[in-house]
Amino acid sequence: MKKRIGLIIGLLLCTTLLFAQGKFVATASKTNVGVGEQFEVDFTMNGGGTHFSPPDFHDFDVLSGPNMESSFTSVNGVSTMSIGYGFILAAKKEGTFTIDEAAVVLNGHTLTTSPIKIKVKGQAPPQQAQQAQAAAPDDNPKIDTKDLSKQIFVRAVTDKTKAYVGEQIKVYYKIYTRVGILGGQPDKAPDLNGFWNQDVPSKGTVWKSEVYKGIRYNVATVKESMLFPQHAGDLQIDPLAITFMVELRLPSRNVLDDMYGNIKQMKYSSKSQPITIHAMALPAAGKPADFTGAVGNYTVYTDVDKKELKANETLNYTVDISGTGNLNLINSPKITTPVDVEKYDPKTNDHIVVDSNGVSGSRQFSYLLIPRHQGNFTLNPVEFTYFNPSTQKYVTVPTKPFTIKVDKGDAQANVPAFNSSDQQDIKLLGSDIRYIKTSSADVFKNGEGFYDSALYYILLLLGPVLFIGAVFYRRWMTEYNSDIVKVRSREASRMAAKHLAFAQKELTAGNRSAFYDAVAKGLYGYLSDKLNIPVSDLNKENIVTQLEARKLDSTIIKQLVDTMDLCEMARFAPVTGISEQQVFDKAKNTINEIEDKI
Amino acid sequence: MKLKIKYNRLNRGLYLLLMLALPLFSLGDDKVNALFDKANQLYAKAHYPEAVQAYQQILNAGYQSAVVYFNTGNAYYKMDDMPSAILYYEKAHKLAPNDQDISINIQFANLKIADKIEPQPEFFVNRWWHSFILFLPVNKLAGLGVLFFIGGFALLIWYLFTRSYIIKKASFYVGVIAILAGIVFIFMANRQVSYFDGHHQAIVFSNSVIVKGSPDLNAKPLFVIHDGTKVNINQTNQNWIEIELPNGNTGWITIDNVKDI
Repeated sequence: MKKRIGLIIGLLLCTTLLFAQGKFVATASKTNVGVGEQFEVDFTMNGGGTHFSPPDFHDFDVLSGPNMESSFTSVNGVSTMSIGYGFILAAKKEGTFTIDEAAVVLNGHTLTTSPIKIKVKGQAPPQQAQQAQAAAPDDNPKIDTKDLSKQIFVRAVTDKTKAYVGEQIKVYYKIYTRVGILGGQPDKAPDLNGFWNQDVPSKGTVWKSEVYKGIRYNVATVKESMLFPQHAGDLQIDPLAITFMVELRLPSRNVLDDMYGNIKQMKYSSKSQPITIHAMALPAAGKPADFTGAVGNYTVYTDVDKKELKANETLNYTVDISGTGNLNLINSPKITTPVDVEKYDPKTNDHIVVDSNGVSGSRQFSYLLIPRHQGNFTLNPVEFTYFNPSTQKYVTVPTKPFTIKVDKGDAQANVPAFNSSDQQDIKLLGSDIRYIKTSSADVFKNGEGFYDSALYYILLLLGPVLFIGAVFYRRWMTEYNSDIVKVRSREASRMAAKHLAFAQKELTAGNRSAFYDAVAKGLYGYLSDKLNIPVSDLNKENIVTQLEARKLDSTIIKQLVDTMDLCEMARFAPVTGISEQQVFDKAKNTINEIEDKI
Repeated sequence: MKLKIKYNRLNRGLYLLLMLALPLFSLGDDKVNALFDKANQLYAKAHYPEAVQAYQQILNAGYQSAVVYFNTGNAYYKMDDMPSAILYYEKAHKLAPNDQDISINIQFANLKIADKIEPQPEFFVNRWWHSFILFLPVNKLAGLGVLFFIGGFALLIWYLFTRSYIIKKASFYVGVIAILAGIVFIFMANRQVSYFDGHHQAIVFSNSVIVKGSPDLNAKPLFVIHDGTKVNINQTNQNWIEIELPNGNTGWITIDNVKDI
């Protein structure tokens, strides 16, 4: 006895512990009924509870109940216990009625169900029809498919109805059923025009119990997809159609049916409702130029396999983009390498996982680079830009630059055979207009160009005019110089000037006799040239006769003779009464006067 | 005593040459140079509209220069205004016909306009002749012509007065050759001027112009040309001009569609 009490206490303790998370729901087998039609309302408690108080079914006839049922299940060591109170009701009249909440006390708390609305319209399906069916056994009895559509249907569910282009949308296709399903097959995969579709691999169907619109169904997710809108606009997720083989329990027709049940199998097709997704274009504001359409949340990691190598050897440069989002749609980021480094198209390595959380993983771009010449070069950082839909902002992920040291390589290594010499054509990278000239503006006033200006013509004329002038000048010169006597006479004054200049020098030096000598030489020389008298005949008498013959003033002749006498005398005796300067001036004046007259 | 100072003939010749050469090497005034430098700096900083404005100030002050026209064209090119760029390049080409930079930029600008016109091939003698007379800008040709002409006559004058036989012989031949060269330069300058006078050209500035068969609005349309196309103007009839394309097509358009080079 003691043992039993202990067991009961133990069990009670267990139940209170287990059913701490109690749940109390009300479900109706039908929410649209006709007047007089029977339907079932169940109140189910997960985890016990006491003091069940049913609602007052004043608008309905209670045909049966409360019918208590209890179940105890143990799955993987987790035990659940549920107690249900069932009522079979029939509507009294047309209209919309509410079944009020029921209450139950669990652990001192009062739990209530939510009210259920029941629509009563029209008459109950005639009992005769069912009886006729029962009376006339048929292998394929007519089943009301409209009625079946409440029993089994496919529903598409999305996690959002508004998304940016490239943003991930989850779609579930669920089967809701209240009847037995023997098998089912999708008619065809939905066309998901305008989406990039990534199916989540199925892990087998798991049935769960779910209440939808107040009715309890067995629910299984048959298909789960990740969709990425490809362009802006209202995009439709096509319905999924599934053909089921269902098992229907029909009213029994005879004793055998009563024993084994009248079960019919039939095919039934159901289609989910189409869902419209409003795809928004990515904001244009702040869109970087190098944005290539990556939407989600990413990190970027770059690496090189070596930092020092020889020319013509290969270098692997990897760009690893990991995160969640439209990874499959990410294009290789543009990398800029120095011109002398050969770059090949990247190899793409994907580690992409699709599960019910979305598309995640990494995409690795591996670039093969071959530096062709020695030297240091820098791999510029890759700037990867993505759009983060949760913050609605563009994010540019910086990476680090790499400096690569290239040593002199073997001349022939990795170089194709036909490239026998090390010479290369200069690569033309682009073309542009020639730059402005900055040295000098080189301006001139309009209409003031040198050509056609007055100066131009004057200068053009200058040459010939000068030349003609020169020709005439030369002709005159030839004539002028042809008479030796005249030339000598013209040259006379120059000779005299020379002697007089010498005399002047002697005078300042105080060399008296040399001074007079020079003055005399100047005078005689001058007269010999001027009057064309040979040096052998050069004497005072001759000079005077010649001068008189040329009708020279007698005073000048007298002055000349005086000066000559003075010079001759001064060579032998000191001169008094006249200074050397006066002699010099006198000689100079005389020559000038003769020059003027003759 | 009057002493005659003999004129040094050689010195006189040198002074003369210097006097001739000076106008050729003279620079514009400081204000122009300052504006020019400012415009170049604006261009270097990619402020193209402001650079154009500064260049235009030089031109509006009544100056012309191949360099300024060329730079203005470049600024318009960078502003993607091809008709204006071509107009200024062609103005520059007229002042400096043998400048490679100008010719290359004209080619670049012509690649960016709507009309692609294959020019009629020129007879090779004509081509040679044109490249000969366009070898140097007209003012340089005129200056060189004058220099050679005067230099040649100076040598001939020297020939008249020198006594050395070798110098006499050398100066005679060199002088005659210099005079001939001077004549050739002057002739080239003359031909170049008449070439540009005879080739009255303009750039189309309207987006699309229908070329008519006669100077009349209701005349038959012949073909359509677009902005940036260079046309030769054959004749003028009130406000209509007869244009000729490099491929030989001719027709009439109104004068407000084009700007003269």
